[in-house]
Amino acid sequence: MISRRALELATAVLTGSFGVAVVVQSLDNGIGWSSAGVDSGTFPFLTGIIIVLGSLYNLVRGVLPVASLANVPIAITPIELRRIAGLFVPAAIFVAAIPLAGIYLASAGYIFAVLAIPRHQSVPRALAMALATAIGLYVVFERMFQVSLPHGALAAALGL
Amino acid sequence: MDNLGELLHGFTIAVTVPHLALMVIGVLLGILVGVLPGLGAPNGVSLLLPLTFGMQPVSAIILLSSMYWGALFGGSVTSILFNIPGEPSSVATTFDGYPMARDGRPTTALATAFGSAAFGALIGVILITFLASWVAQVALAFGPAEYFAVYFLAFASFVGMGGAAPIKTVVALAIGFAIAAIGIDTVSGSVRLTMGVDELVKGVNFVVAVMGLFGIGELLVAVEEEFHARAVSSKIDWREVFRAVGRLPRHGVALLRSAAIGCWMGITPGGPTAASFMSYGIARRFSRRGRYFGTGEVEGIISPETADHAAGTSALLPMLALGIPGSATAAVMMGGLMIWGLNPGPMLFVDQKDFVWGLIASMYVGNIVAVVLVLLTVPVFAALMRIPFVVIAPLIVIICVVGAYSVSNSYLDVVMMLGFGVVGYLFKKLFYPLAPLVLAIVIGDKAEDAFRQSMLMSKGSLAIFFANKLVTCLIVAGIVLLLLPLVLQLAHLFRKPAPPTNETTAQEKVII
Repeated sequence: MISRRALELATAVLTGSFGVAVVVQSLDNGIGWSSAGVDSGTFPFLTGIIIVLGSLYNLVRGVLPVASLANVPIAITPIELRRIAGLFVPAAIFVAAIPLAGIYLASAGYIFAVLAIPRHQSVPRALAMALATAIGLYVVFERMFQVSLPHGALAAALGL
Repeated sequence: MDNLGELLHGFTIAVTVPHLALMVIGVLLGILVGVLPGLGAPNGVSLLLPLTFGMQPVSAIILLSSMYWGALFGGSVTSILFNIPGEPSSVATTFDGYPMARDGRPTTALATAFGSAAFGALIGVILITFLASWVAQVALAFGPAEYFAVYFLAFASFVGMGGAAPIKTVVALAIGFAIAAIGIDTVSGSVRLTMGVDELVKGVNFVVAVMGLFGIGELLVAVEEEFHARAVSSKIDWREVFRAVGRLPRHGVALLRSAAIGCWMGITPGGPTAASFMSYGIARRFSRRGRYFGTGEVEGIISPETADHAAGTSALLPMLALGIPGSATAAVMMGGLMIWGLNPGPMLFVDQKDFVWGLIASMYVGNIVAVVLVLLTVPVFAALMRIPFVVIAPLIVIICVVGAYSVSNSYLDVVMMLGFGVVGYLFKKLFYPLAPLVLAIVIGDKAEDAFRQSMLMSKGSLAIFFANKLVTCLIVAGIVLLLLPLVLQLAHLFRKPAPPTNETTAQEKVII
């Protein structure tokens, strides 16, 4: 169970740290006015400062027991968390597998895994859908629009 | 009346069998790229560009512009049926289009969208027909300061009229600006904000961000709830199509206002995305039923769609007349013009009358072709809606992954897209508005360039933003919008001290 307050805090910290990173990085480019006009770091520097200040405000708003936040104390219930993980974890594994397996193999495996393992579809149907996905991708992108998708290290090793 | 004579001559060029065939092909391909979230009108037009090198310029531009119309319409189809904007400019259509389709009125939502889109496009083309030369001269006087003022107004309208918590809007906007700044700085050529990752030199493409924020983020929000197959009838009820279109004139004010916003944002390089958001925000503020926006309001569909297409169409006006593209797609087309040996700019209207007026006439015909074809093909796309969510979800993930990759053949983009998905989920969950974030990513660079160029012109003095009436009005309007939430809050405090504000949550629910 994740409370709304914890989520607000985490997000404010996330945006705030991005802001700090932007501020620090932009100092490398120089801020202010030089002979060439406005220095290239100035604009990012200002946006970074705004992000940090805004995040601090949101952080304080998130901590203080304001009526509007108290209305929804729980942001994510355990069941919801499990469902989200059920979608996101396989997706992350799929993305992680692309450099090795290539997009066709990875997406076919991904489709097969998410359909067959939780038994949403029978194994033959899941297999058919997985193949159809890979072939569909190949036809639309590689053939019709001539966008070359990653074939993966495995295919390269096999000399494809 | 010179223009009318030229237009009639244009029709004799546009309405020929080969050109009509090209329109049908272009529109169908356009709907395809519009429906696929990864491929947008700019991608589609660039991919098609090599095929046009052997064609007559006028045939080539008819093919490309028809694809553009198709993509604009196709983007709305997925926005309404799947809540996935196929194009950044149809993001605002999801706000009310999707709830209406979900409530069992997909035909009404689609017909309303296409009807108002066609109206917006028509106004845009009429504008081009009659005002081409005149508007070009006005925009000729635009300097960087004016450009910046227009961008500033667009951004300020989010804070003042967006409806989300103002500070959250500001944070979202600023993050978008920072993301836009990543990569090579177009003014000085120095590398910025790469966080030590060399590959980030190329910057973060907005397609990557949009697919993560809206595609994956939306999926994560959707999967939380028990998801039953949203079995919406895949049949288009043709009588309902005509009924919905017949009801449009009742919203005449919204139609005209949105078309005006769209034309303005299209000619000034605000672009269709900014136009649709601005139109939606303004409609919600001024509509009598404003507080129902986000639940499937008719005007919530009319406003962004009309403005989107009006802007998309009128974006071609500065491209033709001045050689300044009003949108990304127009920029790609302009590249095509130069490859075909034409020189975009005022001389086009003198030297290449056949080309210009053939194109303008084809816009009238092409949009009619697009409306008919998109309505005919909707059942094909709507049939996809009966597929269960467990099957759709991984497919959407794959489309997002492939789309993110194909932007610049980079694996890093795919990883970033997934990261944007998490951010999109958090933002949606906590009512941070996503729209300003995306808009800032898309036009943040241009706004910064305009600001720095005006600073160069004025040697660092901000007085350049108050140098003439036009720019002063734009800037002052922007500042007023920016301060609006603060003023409202202060007024609220003075009236009754320390009220328990449930109001924010009510508003929060409405926005995104």
